[in-house]
Amino acid sequence: MKLAEGSSTAILGTDALRIRPRFGVGRSPLITFLLLLPGFGAIAFLFLLPLWLVIQLSFAPEGTDAGFTLDNYAAFLGSPTLRGALFLTIELAVFATLFSIVLSVPLALVLRRPFRGNRLFRLLILLPLMIPALVSAVGLRLFWGDVGWANLTIQLLPFVDGPIRVVFTVPGLVLFYVWLFFPFTALLTLAALEGVDPAIEEAAEVSGASRWRVLRHVLLPLAMPGILAGSVLTFIEAFGAFSIPLIAGGDNRPLSVQIYTVSAIFLHWNQGAAMSVVMGAAQIIFLVTYFRLLRRQQPA
Amino acid sequence: MTQLPAVYGRSIWNGRRLLSYTLLLAFLLYMLAPLVIIAVSSFGKSWFGPTFLPQDWGLDWYAWAASIGNIPEVLKNSLVIAALAVVMSLALAAPTAWALGRRRVPFRSGLNTLVLLPKMLPPIAFALGVAKLFYAIGVVDTLFGVALAHVTITLPFAILVMSSTFAGIDDRLIEAAEVCGSRPWRTFLWVILPLAMPGILSAAIFVFTTSYNEFTLTLLTYGPHTVTLPVKTYLVIGDGFVPVGSAISMILLVPSLLVLLLIQGQLKPDKLIGGLKGV
Repeated sequence: MKLAEGSSTAILGTDALRIRPRFGVGRSPLITFLLLLPGFGAIAFLFLLPLWLVIQLSFAPEGTDAGFTLDNYAAFLGSPTLRGALFLTIELAVFATLFSIVLSVPLALVLRRPFRGNRLFRLLILLPLMIPALVSAVGLRLFWGDVGWANLTIQLLPFVDGPIRVVFTVPGLVLFYVWLFFPFTALLTLAALEGVDPAIEEAAEVSGASRWRVLRHVLLPLAMPGILAGSVLTFIEAFGAFSIPLIAGGDNRPLSVQIYTVSAIFLHWNQGAAMSVVMGAAQIIFLVTYFRLLRRQQPA
Repeated sequence: MTQLPAVYGRSIWNGRRLLSYTLLLAFLLYMLAPLVIIAVSSFGKSWFGPTFLPQDWGLDWYAWAASIGNIPEVLKNSLVIAALAVVMSLALAAPTAWALGRRRVPFRSGLNTLVLLPKMLPPIAFALGVAKLFYAIGVVDTLFGVALAHVTITLPFAILVMSSTFAGIDDRLIEAAEVCGSRPWRTFLWVILPLAMPGILSAAIFVFTTSYNEFTLTLLTYGPHTVTLPVKTYLVIGDGFVPVGSAISMILLVPSLLVLLLIQGQLKPDKLIGGLKGV
């Protein structure tokens, strides 16, 4: 089976829709409108309306559907636990993004050369994207648990007694986040490195640059747009991660888990809505800032 | 790939090479071990204490999953919901994708942003609103309702994939068909549809796996009659039956791995970013 050409850009959502309309087709605005209606009607009903409901709930007094109060936000920002959740979310996302870059760059440098088994490793990168996050959480929890394979192996080393706690700790969560979300960074880094013209690299080497200098001054700067674009995606996913912290977070509850707990378990929907709004806003602010910075860096 | 210089050939065990192999081996273990251990735990009848492998093997946990976890029913729910999500997503997306891909559309960039917006927000942030709305219109705990909740996530994706497919259809082929006297419906059936099929199919596959794996939105709209596999896994793990959770996870893995096999020869990895699963 062959999959659609261009689904890449479609999935990335960068420029898939920048398609010039053909002439000769599509003159009647009425028909265009009728065609657009099902898709955008559904988006309005299934996404914009719920979004509006969340915003409305967040300003309504607890237990009601409408009204205006800032109590929910005050309660959120006034509670050390919930404030902690916000910081934890940011902390996890930032560290997961950084370590994803640390893993992806060497990996991409190795994988861009042909060797036997190269394809297998490229498939491995895809694995976390394909399997349900929930299943990954189950596996990571088993593997890194106190009697999991990782700990059993570590204890074979001298001077290590007792299991090292990984599951239910913040560093453990970062480790799991990296497993789950690094593919975004790795795939785009790999694509960027493969896009570097070998002639440029060669020119640097012929001019006597050491491998390290070629990497530092030629390869990395040229691959930087890819690395950055990938890390944005990793950050977005890590910021919104839900299944992993729910199953393998223990008492470390980032915003996503707190929102679920507060609203669906304690039934404080308005409180949960206020937290959702803050979470959504934080992510939008981050994205806008990030794209501004990117644009400033590359005036082209 | 040209000749990046002789460093490679110099000696088998030079440091660089050793470093590369160490990295690859560590990466292989880091990625695969968590999945292998799920399989081992699901087939391990009894596995107590710090040992590398279970003391006893058997299919007991699968039997548990089937009887106590009520897996046949849950699997049926998951499949029906995923199928409904595919039908609804494709039906809603196709006309809109056609317009976006092939027609003159006003406010194009605004509409594009609107399509992308659900992908930019954390799902949990609007999942509350979806739950609220679904309670209000009374579709919570129906197969239709849960599938509709999944459409929230899958629709933008279906629109994006299909619109770029439609846009890629060569006008000259359509013109050629028309010049040869084909009526519009024949052109549609025998020219446009076959050309668009790869895009439609990949959208369908992606929607299906996304829905089959979707957890966040299901968790807020499910009920006793609409437990899906991911929700069941979560509930079982929450009750402390980790090996049963592993057994259900194995069932959950099947379609994802099938898709991985299916696409591995067809797509460049970097074409796959995103959109494949609920977070």
